[in-house]
Amino acid sequence: MKVLKRIINSKYFMVVLWTVLIVTIWEIFAFIVQYTKRTPVNVLPHLSGILESILSTKTINGSQTALQMVLVNAGATLSRAGIGFLIGTALGFVLALLMNLSGTVEKVAFPYLMLIQMIPVLGMAPIILALTGDIGTSRTVIAAILTFYPVATNTLAGFKGVQKEKHELMYSYAASKFQVYVKTLIPACLPSFFTGMKIAAPMAVTASILVDTLQGGIGLGCLLSQSLKGAMTRYVFWQIVLLSAIVGILSFVLIGAIEKKVCPYNQKTKG
Amino acid sequence: MDVKKLKSRLASVTAVLYPLLFGVVLIALWQSQILHKLLNTTTLILPLPTRILSVIKDNLPAIAADTWATVSVILPGLVLGSIIGYLLAVFATNSPRFGATGLTIIAAISAIPTVALAAVILQWTRDVSTDVDVRSYVMKLIIVTVVSVASMTLNAYRGLTELKPFALDLMKSYAAGKMTVLLKLRMPNSLPYIFTSLKVSVPACVIAALVSEYFAEKITGVGRRIRECILQAQYSTAWAYIVTACVIGIVLFAVLMASEKVVMRRRNS
Amino acid sequence: MLSMVDMRTDVEIMLKDIGMTYKTSTNTDVTALTNVTMNIHKGEFVSLLGPSGCGKTTLLRIIADLLTPTVGEISVGGESPREARLKRKYGIVFQGAVLYDWRTVKKNVMLPLEIMHLPKKDCEERADKMLEMVGLKDFAKHYPRQLSGGMQQRVGIARALAIQPEILLMDEPFSALDEFTREKLHEDLLRIWRKTNKTIVFVTHNIQESVFLSDRVCVLSPHPGRISALIDIDLPRPRTVEIKSTPEFTGYVAQIRSSFEGI
Repeated sequence: MKVLKRIINSKYFMVVLWTVLIVTIWEIFAFIVQYTKRTPVNVLPHLSGILESILSTKTINGSQTALQMVLVNAGATLSRAGIGFLIGTALGFVLALLMNLSGTVEKVAFPYLMLIQMIPVLGMAPIILALTGDIGTSRTVIAAILTFYPVATNTLAGFKGVQKEKHELMYSYAASKFQVYVKTLIPACLPSFFTGMKIAAPMAVTASILVDTLQGGIGLGCLLSQSLKGAMTRYVFWQIVLLSAIVGILSFVLIGAIEKKVCPYNQKTKG
Repeated sequence: MDVKKLKSRLASVTAVLYPLLFGVVLIALWQSQILHKLLNTTTLILPLPTRILSVIKDNLPAIAADTWATVSVILPGLVLGSIIGYLLAVFATNSPRFGATGLTIIAAISAIPTVALAAVILQWTRDVSTDVDVRSYVMKLIIVTVVSVASMTLNAYRGLTELKPFALDLMKSYAAGKMTVLLKLRMPNSLPYIFTSLKVSVPACVIAALVSEYFAEKITGVGRRIRECILQAQYSTAWAYIVTACVIGIVLFAVLMASEKVVMRRRNS
Repeated sequence: MLSMVDMRTDVEIMLKDIGMTYKTSTNTDVTALTNVTMNIHKGEFVSLLGPSGCGKTTLLRIIADLLTPTVGEISVGGESPREARLKRKYGIVFQGAVLYDWRTVKKNVMLPLEIMHLPKKDCEERADKMLEMVGLKDFAKHYPRQLSGGMQQRVGIARALAIQPEILLMDEPFSALDEFTREKLHEDLLRIWRKTNKTIVFVTHNIQESVFLSDRVCVLSPHPGRISALIDIDLPRPRTVEIKSTPEFTGYVAQIRSSFEGI
């Protein structure tokens, strides 16, 4: 009994419970679909089926297995998304810094920063493709734009949120502006900075996949539309869905882990 | 007139003037085609502002129809998703251990890219109706709904649980039941958090609606038109729809901000 | 009227006819301080005591060069507050500890020394010394969030003393602490003061606290903020908690309390 109680009270029990619950629900529906639909794999395949397709060694286009194909295309799409994400993060941080340093920059940029949040930038993906002419570049550009503003607004909020007393303390030490930023403002804004990155990461992934669907060639999005049109096995589609979900969640978790590493003080370890 | 007063007045003037000036300069660069040189592009792909405006004027009925097609997905989806999200938050509040972990799962699900979601929902709604119109609408509606659930659940949960110190103790001293605590304390407390959530989900829903249109069977809506026009190399029309999409986003956000102001003022007075 | 001729030569802080008026958003003038004249001597422990709105914190901030008075003269060691600040003569302790969450306790104490560009070894040595003085040697590697409120405030004091300031400015440093912790910190503060011989300006709204700690209590009253009494506390030192039950102590408390009557 005691052991059982310990298990139930453990931190991971609920996570396991939820995972089991979700898998069960998926499988129940998969069974229903299996017996009621003509092409069950199009609607909801069994998880085992997806797993099988991932592990399968059968080539589907003469040279690659389904998984190889998905991974190669994912590399093309996600590497560009990643570069765009990093560029956007850097630009967002620098803009927040400039806005905090100069009142004029803040006045000019702030309304536009607000505006760009309301504008569906993703809807502009096709035009960015047309403007840049190159799919790789447009993946990078749109991922950068989408990353840029959540990082900028959150970092700026982090700068502004620093206690007044901390500014006064630095003032009483006769600290230089550079010291104020290095010793106080930049470390203080890190948690908000990471929040901005967490918001941006899944958007960057979505953006780059979306850009793919607009044009043929290599990329997860192209593969997705081809698979949907029936050009190859439907399991490729499910692999992509699973992969993009995993990448989205993983990016979130990864940034959280980096945050924990960079700011260990945020963890409450009282005692 | 003292210096301080003059300074503060000057500051409020420049707060409007500077960004306005920036916008004017940008449009001037665009209209004078200097922007085209900078971006290394042509007026075909990046039409002049005057040209875009005249296209909007000429195609007003068509644009209005597509705007309606998009907005009629966004609004019900937003409302539906927010209600579901709020109910989930209430559920999570009532069973903290099970529910709190569920919130983590919901946060993880919200990290799933919209594209993947759209593709799956498209599969699931194939047999909903034999009518393409209904099928496409249901698909788009579900996507927008799902996108707005997560942000509402996460924010509303905070609103329902992050109470003022001792507020819960006060309720207990009245021997208030769970339901009373929910109605009299938790729900009013969550009101500002609802607006916080909507500020995230309104722009997200606009994007979700546009993306879902890309995948929908029926070719309609502002987002789909942008794509179709580009594929047919009708760049001016595409830009007209981009401007429309921006206007939709800005108007919805402005309405949200205004209603927040009204509601919160009534609450605080 | 307060007219006093100070014959002592060891004046650290000289305040003459200090006045401070703010403009509110409705454009009306509010007088936070008026006609503040007093001298604070080297090594003296002075409390600024009064109810909220009496301008005690404003006065402290004027000394610290965080505010500039609208009228009056002020000098700190014969210099302007600005010059004194640039020479790092001030150590400030706020009501909250205002510690840096991302720095360990020791690194918090080292912060001002890093800003002064002291060699790393000196920084560490001095921080260790300060932590030993406030009794937190064993907590050097902890993060502020792992400490109790009283311990956090000790770190704040250690940090303020680390730059070896001539003047310690304390703005209601113990008001958020419970009575037991506060009494302990009172004794610690007096011990540190005796050891370091700093001039201390201590803002508080607690009468007992001001009597227990100070050489002199400066009583301020509001609307407009002004000095209503300057009271020398002639209690023997070193003082311990027991002194609080002596008739002399309660006499001072009663005297100060009566000076607030009619406000």
